[in-house]
Formats: sequence, C-alpha cells, structure tokens
Amino acid sequence: MLRITGGTVYDPANGIDGEVKDLYIADGRFSSKFETGRTIDATGLVIMPGGVDVHTHVAGGSINFARAMTPEDHRRTQAFIRSKTRRSGLGGMAPTTFATGYLYAGMGWTTVNEAAVPVLSARHTHEELRDIPIVDKSSLVLMANNEIILDLLEEGEDERAKHILAWHIWAAKSYGVKAVNPGGVASWKYGNDAKHLTSKIDGYDHVTPGTIITKFAKMIDELGIPHPLHLHCNNLGAPGNVETTLETMRHLEGSRAHFAHLQYHAYGGDDWGNMRSEAAQLADYFNAHPNMTTDAGAVLFGDTVTITADGPWQHLLYKLTGRKWGNLDVENETGCGIVPYTYRPSNLVNAVQWAVGLELLLLINDPWRVFLSTDHPNGACFWRYPEIIQLLMCSDYRNECMANLPPNIKNKISLPEIDREYTLYEIATITSAGPSRALGLPQKGDLGIGKDADLVIYHQDHDIARMFGHPRYVFKGGEIVIEEGDIRETPDGREYLVQPSYDPEIDKFLRPLFEDRYCMSFENYPVEMERIERSQIQDCVTLGGEGE
Amino acid sequence: MQKSKFLPRGRKDRTVVMVDIRETKSAKAADHFLQVRPGKDFELLTIMRAMIKDQEISEAEVAATGVSMEVLRDLIDQMKKAKFGVMFFGMGLSMTRGKHMNAAALLTFAAEMNAFTKFVAMPMRGHGNVTGADVIMRWQTGYPFGISLNRGYPRYNPGEFSTVDVLVRGDTDCAFIIGADPGATMPKPAIDHLAKVPTIVLDPHVTHTSRLSRVHITTAPAGIAAPGTGYRMDEVPMPLKPALNSPYPSDEEVVRRIKEAIAEKPDWMTNQPQMIESQV
Repeated sequence: MLRITGGTVYDPANGIDGEVKDLYIADGRFSSKFETGRTIDATGLVIMPGGVDVHTHVAGGSINFARAMTPEDHRRTQAFIRSKTRRSGLGGMAPTTFATGYLYAGMGWTTVNEAAVPVLSARHTHEELRDIPIVDKSSLVLMANNEIILDLLEEGEDERAKHILAWHIWAAKSYGVKAVNPGGVASWKYGNDAKHLTSKIDGYDHVTPGTIITKFAKMIDELGIPHPLHLHCNNLGAPGNVETTLETMRHLEGSRAHFAHLQYHAYGGDDWGNMRSEAAQLADYFNAHPNMTTDAGAVLFGDTVTITADGPWQHLLYKLTGRKWGNLDVENETGCGIVPYTYRPSNLVNAVQWAVGLELLLLINDPWRVFLSTDHPNGACFWRYPEIIQLLMCSDYRNECMANLPPNIKNKISLPEIDREYTLYEIATITSAGPSRALGLPQKGDLGIGKDADLVIYHQDHDIARMFGHPRYVFKGGEIVIEEGDIRETPDGREYLVQPSYDPEIDKFLRPLFEDRYCMSFENYPVEMERIERSQIQDCVTLGGEGE
Repeated sequence: MQKSKFLPRGRKDRTVVMVDIRETKSAKAADHFLQVRPGKDFELLTIMRAMIKDQEISEAEVAATGVSMEVLRDLIDQMKKAKFGVMFFGMGLSMTRGKHMNAAALLTFAAEMNAFTKFVAMPMRGHGNVTGADVIMRWQTGYPFGISLNRGYPRYNPGEFSTVDVLVRGDTDCAFIIGADPGATMPKPAIDHLAKVPTIVLDPHVTHTSRLSRVHITTAPAGIAAPGTGYRMDEVPMPLKPALNSPYPSDEEVVRRIKEAIAEKPDWMTNQPQMIESQV
C-alpha cells in the first residue's frame, strides 16, 4: 500500500481542478483506504493522471525500417546504458523499443497506442510491443486499402465486409481500426493516388474513398469497437486539402470518428508558395460536430523521420527533399513510406505547419476532443511533448517563437491573434483524460477509486518545458518507475485487445479468397493469442444509447 | 506462380530478367538474360540510371559492361512500361568489386524508376532466418548488424564491429556461434582465432566450426523440431510449427539457461550512469 499526501491534484475525469487531496494506492489501483505502507509527501507538487498517447508509431515494420535508415541519428543521440536488470537502448528520431518505454515513462506517459499495423506484420508488431517496457499498449490495424474488403464493398456486400473486418481485427490481435488514405494506398500499388472523396481507385468502378470512409465508420460503430474509426484522411499534406478534410467530416455525420494528425489536413492555398492555415475554418466545423475527436499531429522545428502508410505522399516528399526514401508494399493490404525530414522555421511551409498544429489545439474549444500528439515521429519525436505544452500554456513564449518565422507568413496563419493559454487542468485533459476516453479505456486517465494507479507528480516550475520534461515521480500500476530522472523499475506493460463478434462461418468464405491471393497459408495468418503477453480484452460497447 | 486480380495468368503475365556474370540455372527460368562482365555492375547500373533520363552515353562505355546498347534500350523500354517492377539483388552485387556502392547504385536506380512507374528493390537474403536476426537487432539496438555493446549501449560500425573484422583482429576472448558456420566460410585468421579462444557452438549438426570449438551443444532444428518465428525476406514473420519431436533442447532454451547462469555472476559493469545525453 502507498499514500501520496498533500499534492495539488488535476483529475479532469472527476472534475478535480487543482485541489489538495491525498491519494491511496493498493494492488496497482487507487483505493479509498490506507492502512500501512510508504507515504510520499507531495506537498507543493502537481499531480496528474499518467499521459496517454492516442496516436504514435513505436513498433512494427515501418518504424523498424526507419531505424535501419537512420544510423547517423542513433550515433549522436542519447544512449541508455544497460544494467543487470535493465536493457540498453538509443533515443533519437526512431528510438529502440526499450528506450521507447524509458522515454515515455520519463516524461510521465504510461499508455501508448501504436496507430498503424498491417495484419501481415501484426505478429512482428506484437513482438516489438512486448519489448517496450513500463507503458501499457494497444494497436490499430490498417484495413481501408485491404483488397478483400474493398472487393466486397465494390459488390455491395456490406454485411459480409463487416464480419470480415471483425475477423481481421481479431486476427491481428488489435484494438481498433486505422484507415489511411482510403483507396489512395490501393492505387499507389500502380503509382497512383486517390486525393478526393470521389477519386477513382485503381481496379474499382463503384467504390470511392468517400464510400470506404462512410462504410468503415458505420461498420466500426455497429461492431461496437470502443475506439471509433481512426482516420488518416486523403490528400495529406497538400495545399488546399482542407476541402477534402471538410468533405470527409461531412461524410461522417452520424458516426463516431477520430481524425488523426489533423494538422496535416488543414491547409489552404493551391501551391507551396501560397499555402496557408485553414485551422480556423476546420476548428469551426469541428466545434459544431461532437461526433468527432482528433489529435493535433503538431510539428516542432528540428530533425525527424517521417513514416506513414501513405506511400504516394512519401514518394512526393522524397522528390521534394531529395533525401533518403524507403518504400514498403504490404501485399494486398497496405503500404508504407519513410523519408527523413528537417522542419525549419525559415521554411514557409514548415512555419505554416508549426502554426497550424498549435492553432488547432488552441481553437478547438473542447479539450475532451483534441489531444496532444506529434504523430510521432512525423511532426516531431514524442519526447518533445513538453515543448508543445509550454507553447500551449505561455502565449509570451509563443510570440517569442513566432518572431523567428519568415516575415511573409503574415496573413497565412491566425496564431498571432490567439491569446488563449492552456491551464494545467486542460493539459491533463488533452494528454490523459481525453485520449483515454476516446480510446475507450475508462481505467486510464482517471485518479478515481478502482482505476489504474498510473500517475505523474511534477515540480511546480515557471519553466513549463522543464516541469513536464522532468517529473519528480512517475507511478505505473502503483509502482514508482521514475524518480527524479532515474529509472527505478521497468515492469512489463499490458496489451489491450478487442474481440468483436463475427459469424464463425466467415472462415469458409474467406479461406479460398485468401489462398487465391496471399502467399502464406490461411492458418498462419492470424496472430496466435499465446504470442501476446499480459493481454487484456476490453469489452465492445453498444452505441446509440444515452450519453452518445 | 501466384495468380491475382491484376495478373490472372500468373507467371505468363510476368516478365523475369536475369542479370549475372554467367548463365546460371536461374537464367534458364527467366524470359531474358543479360550477361554482364565481372566487376562491371556499378558501371551498368549507372549507365542505366543515365539512360532512363535520356542522358548521353557513349557506345564504348556501354560496350565495356558486356551488354549492347540495343539490349539496354529495349530493357529500359520494358521497365518503363511495366506496371510494377521489383529489382531483386544478392551477394553477387554486394560482395563483389564496388560492394555497398553497387547496392547503393541499385537502390537509387529503383527509386528513380518511380518517376516513370512503380518500382521497388529488395535484397535476396541468404539461408536461414537472416532477416529475422536483422529485424530484431534493429528494434532492440537500432542497427541491423556490426554492433558492439561493449560500452553498455549499442554502437555500429560495419568493417570494425562486424564478426569477421572482430575475429581477424583477435579482439574477442570468447565466441558464441548460433545457426552459422563461420569455420567453413571465413578467412583463415578469423578461423585461427576461433580455434584459439573458447568457442561455443549451438547447431543441430556438427559443423566445421563445431570441430574447432571448445563446446558444441546439439539443438533441435527450428521449424522442424522446435517452434519459433522466421522472417521472410520481405520481413513478414511466419510462425514455425514443428512437425517432429527432438530429444535436443531448442536454441532458445539453451540461450535462456546460459543467460540465467550468467545472471548469477557479479556484474562487471558497475557504477555506470543510467544514460548519456549525447554520444558526440
């Protein structure tokens, strides 16, 4: 048992905004009673629930390809030295698995959602997730360019497509569904893209990106997957793409949806020279439609490596930058591209991107629906989150940073007119309570009785980046994992899965299709349950009732 | 060969071009065979990179590669018309004159072909689970091979930390060999060093390396009598399901037991910081 006394608690899930409150922990959860055990005096310190990352890329084929492509970064970055009980690792743009756990926990994050897993390499992703210590994990399976599902939607076999979708979620031992550039990645196998919701998809006459998006959101709601459709829209990164994004949002009325890294989808203009922020327009629509959540996908200046299932975009980025380019095609399912990238304040496009990420976080007025992310490692590495928190909490600091942007950015961004400053309560919402709710993990991001005792204790500090970058204590499952910048314990985290129900006869339908198209046997395709260590199956939910 | 929606006739819808210094059995299975002069891979690849961009090339430069201009023009024409091209390459490219420069030229060629049509390149890996070792080293250390952990964290330098270099320099005082037979393939100074230091071999068979080792432990062959995972060369992991029982332990079990025994010993690397901020 453990007692934390005197701390100033920010617990948005329970409406607690800076109250001095004692917390008791027993058996890894918050408890109402304390009998004996250690007492930690947190007087004068700030307590929040452990951070939850709704969208990150930390495990699997794509990040591992990025690691292979960036030895020059591993060579210079921070190194974790092994001890008798702790594995070594490297930080940097694409941290190794062990270092990923240390770095997340080191800034107080205790749950992460790996946002892009092809079924074919799900076995690999789970092996990597097992090697990420401390944090709890979940993963989303890439389905919106899956040939078998697109064929069924083309034929109007929506009901069967739903069962096949549920089958794949369980086969990949995933927690939900990610859609990346629906139809566009399928077209990329032939060097093409699908930029608009009405674009032609190679190999299909009827189905369009618009139909895929609408039907996927509906299927996921009907299956009761706790986390809604997790959508990377078409036309990422392109000037003028706000039209595609707004059209996508209109397609999703009446369904739940999570918009990933909205920053990359909020641009006006029609070429790189006149690209401007349309965050205000997007935020207006978003504010009026409570069916949606989003994560910012914010950009920070500096070196990183971009990785996405959006293959055609990455080919364009390679042509724009002339830097290294890696491409992976995953049979009938999806693709992936990797390009190292440097965001520079002197570059007008990068400067607009930097502003758009912050504008979305500041202009979307409900912190329960917009979450902190950098689409790690795309916009910046996750271990730089404290810098974003500082930008959100201090408008003076924002203005200082804006002074470094090119002068011709005037009228292209709205950030200079925004004076909102986040409070600690709002920070706890966008980093923990909000993403937990969006993921459908009620045991996370909540300091209430019976919930998982994942929490972080910060020193009060006027230097916000330092405060959030160097917690006094981090607790995971009631255990002290970080104390004053030192790693104390490296427990194994859990892995969350969902098991949606599907017609067991669907195997018979799928097997011949699969054997016709894939190059492995049907039996070897699903990830075996015994390969997931410390798995926890979350219940599916019923939608359409009260509270929705 | 696999039939698909876009290639309904399987092999008949595909074109295979083989490039080698001699006409091998694989060449007979191909639609076209190009015989390149030994040591001229880099030149041939560079000429083709120039030709796809319609840059001028002299007849003499082309002739030096052993392939005619006409054949090259025809090949490039076919490549540009392909819907999806794949360049497979192996040790004939990466271990001959030019080495990694040849591989770099080929990868650049594949990337540049995407200005015309979809093209990718993929290494043809050797026997066994080479890709699996490479994949796991990458997620655990950031690097695929040629890694030194002697400072307590991973460092990478092929040519310095690769197995053959470490052995030739005589830098190790012990060697632990799993699923490989360096005693059959490495240069003599490396083999001499393996014979000199305590070498431990885990293998289902008695190998050349076993004969010069201090200890050989027979293990169950993975995928036949031991379960596990094998990574295909496109990095798709396949479950290995044993068909037979073996009286021998798996590699995994032996390694785990050795690790447990080592954990009993005092740690030789004490008083290290947990982390260093920057390596440079």
